[in-house]
Amino acid sequence: MKTPPQKSLLRTATLVAVLFSLTARPAPAQALPPFRWGTDPTGGAPFNYQDAAGRPTGFEYELAGYLAAKLGRTSVMVAGDWSKLPEQLNKPADVEKGVDVILNGYELRADLAAKYGVSRAYYAYRVALMVRKDQSVIRDWADLDGQRVGVLGGTVANDYLVRHHPGATVQTNEDVANVIQLVADNRLAATVQDNPAATHFLKEFPTLKLAGEPVKAGYYVIYSRKADVELGRQLDAAIASGLRDGSFRRIYEKYGLWNADQDELVGLLDTPWPPADLAAADEAGSVWRRLLPQLLDAAGVTLMLAFGSFPLAVALGLLVAVGRVYGPRPLRVPLGIYVEVIRGTPLLLQLYAIFYMLPVFAERLIPGSAGYFTPFACGILGLALNYSAYEAENYRAGLLAVPRGQLEAALALGMSPGTAVRRVVVPQAVRLVIPPVTNDFIALFKDTSVCSVIMITELTRKYNELYNFNRDLIVELVFLTAGLYLCMSYPLALLAGFLERRYATTGGRS
Amino acid sequence: MIRVADLVKSHGPTPILRGVSLTVHVGEVTVLVGPSGGGKSTLLRCINGLETFDAGTVTAFGHTLNGTRGRPHPTAALLGLRRAVGMVFQQFHLFPHMTALGNVMAGPVHALGVPKAQAEATARELLARVGLADKANHTPAQLSGGQQQRVAIARTLAVSPKAILFDEPTSALDPVMAREVLAVIRDLAARGQTMVVVTHDMDLAREATVAHKMVAGRIVSSGPPNAVLAE
Repeated sequence: MKTPPQKSLLRTATLVAVLFSLTARPAPAQALPPFRWGTDPTGGAPFNYQDAAGRPTGFEYELAGYLAAKLGRTSVMVAGDWSKLPEQLNKPADVEKGVDVILNGYELRADLAAKYGVSRAYYAYRVALMVRKDQSVIRDWADLDGQRVGVLGGTVANDYLVRHHPGATVQTNEDVANVIQLVADNRLAATVQDNPAATHFLKEFPTLKLAGEPVKAGYYVIYSRKADVELGRQLDAAIASGLRDGSFRRIYEKYGLWNADQDELVGLLDTPWPPADLAAADEAGSVWRRLLPQLLDAAGVTLMLAFGSFPLAVALGLLVAVGRVYGPRPLRVPLGIYVEVIRGTPLLLQLYAIFYMLPVFAERLIPGSAGYFTPFACGILGLALNYSAYEAENYRAGLLAVPRGQLEAALALGMSPGTAVRRVVVPQAVRLVIPPVTNDFIALFKDTSVCSVIMITELTRKYNELYNFNRDLIVELVFLTAGLYLCMSYPLALLAGFLERRYATTGGRS
Repeated sequence: MIRVADLVKSHGPTPILRGVSLTVHVGEVTVLVGPSGGGKSTLLRCINGLETFDAGTVTAFGHTLNGTRGRPHPTAALLGLRRAVGMVFQQFHLFPHMTALGNVMAGPVHALGVPKAQAEATARELLARVGLADKANHTPAQLSGGQQQRVAIARTLAVSPKAILFDEPTSALDPVMAREVLAVIRDLAARGQTMVVVTHDMDLAREATVAHKMVAGRIVSSGPPNAVLAE
């Protein structure tokens, strides 16, 4: 990031502002409302987390304490979902979960700066590339082509990867600890993280190391309401004093986050803020040219998930149904349990179990097998298993609805029971339940969005990711995404209608 | 030949068959007559192994079923017996997802493993024999009841059974359609096909070789049809 030419007039103005804020000390604490700062404590160490005794801690937690003290207010942490934190500022501060500012590793970004008040930078961060020590494939950033790289969705690291390393397969997740665990387990080749997170997790995961030099990426800032000019001014003054008097340095050193980059922040205090060239970083006109292909790609992933999993669900469901209706008792009981367990637990939980738990057991049984549990394979497997339980019930109903005389007629012709079921009963049952089965296909189509929790960037996930960087386009993005779903599911409804009519004509009972 | 010896069957406490014995010789047409609820259809279903029975034996062309007291018959014995003894049902039970031709080919192709081309040639001959050569590509839903029953007979003939059991083959049909079906059954009798027919149709019964009258689970009289029907 370039430093704009310093102008003495502005420097003087800033200095005056700082002096003014220092002299105009706030009134006693009991007269002021608490300083409510929004953050996502699940984002974890070293930003905000709990120490061994369960007390909240973290460098931002201490930073917020310092700022609140400077403001003469008490520090109150308000927990929220990281990617939705800026929306908290659209509501008043005194509602439930209302906040005065958001403070959680949020980068200085043109789109956010346009909507919200921006404080002075409190930390200059880099993005770091983390890999396992026992591999030699990825030595530097240039080696990322064709590798699966995990990243926190919607972050600058995410954006940096997409823009600078288009050859890498980017897989996004909401949880830093998850991503890093996957790298340690050899299920992701690498991850790109902000240097505070990287520094912390290198201590926790001794099998990991940095590859190449961390790249300068930007500044953490505090966002507030644009209308809260006074609060913004006070915050800037407090940040300036924290940077100048060494308070921030002491906090950062405590967490191992101090580096030479931070020295520049003091110099930046005398420059116009936010920097004038910030808006130019994102070219405005070509935004749809960049977004649309990404959305279409993600829609393709949704299609592949649906068409990859549903045939498996139908095949498995049919086998389970036949086993439950015609199988011997020792088979019927476990199949009944299978259906009830799968039907009775959420798809989300099943996907977590398949993606995070199953590979651990598999690795213990067959070392090296964990690598086969790719997000896409786990997504297909999870959807197929989940819907197989529903299809099993559909087909069971269908099998029971075929008149008993059909089976007897087939047996009387000398068919074995297996052949009679396969050739006579199953084809009729399949036709009978076309309506509920196609209905389930449309439902599964939309349930593919749940796969986003295991790092599959399908349509809903992509919408979320794009929305993070293009918050002004929320209306367009919502309608476009919904439209894409509809464009894909409506033809399915038409196909279902066609199949029903096609096979209804041969459905005469005897 | 088919030999039934001392067949006993009950549904819970209700006796259905109370010791039935009869013999069907090759080339004969046997009719079972008598009031409804006398056990005629159940006897037929026991001979084909669609029902189990408590005691007694059924022997047909070298295959034997024994009383099982509710447990299923051994599959191997059932398969052998059913390939020797075919069955035609009151409600036809044609396969609705297949054409008339497909129905007639189903047994040879899926039960006997006959090549499709050969099975189709035989099936077309049989459809012609029951007067339905032009209905080969119709589905059951597109056929009248009489036509459906004739297809069902052709379907049974296609697996070349040594004997055919008819369970009230014309009871679900109006008189005109019943006549079409009776004509086919008479034609089979003329060709020397061994048959056991449960019927309420007196004309058909009079043409049989032998008649058995069943009342309340027992055969109460046997002999030439005219003598038995006169009682």
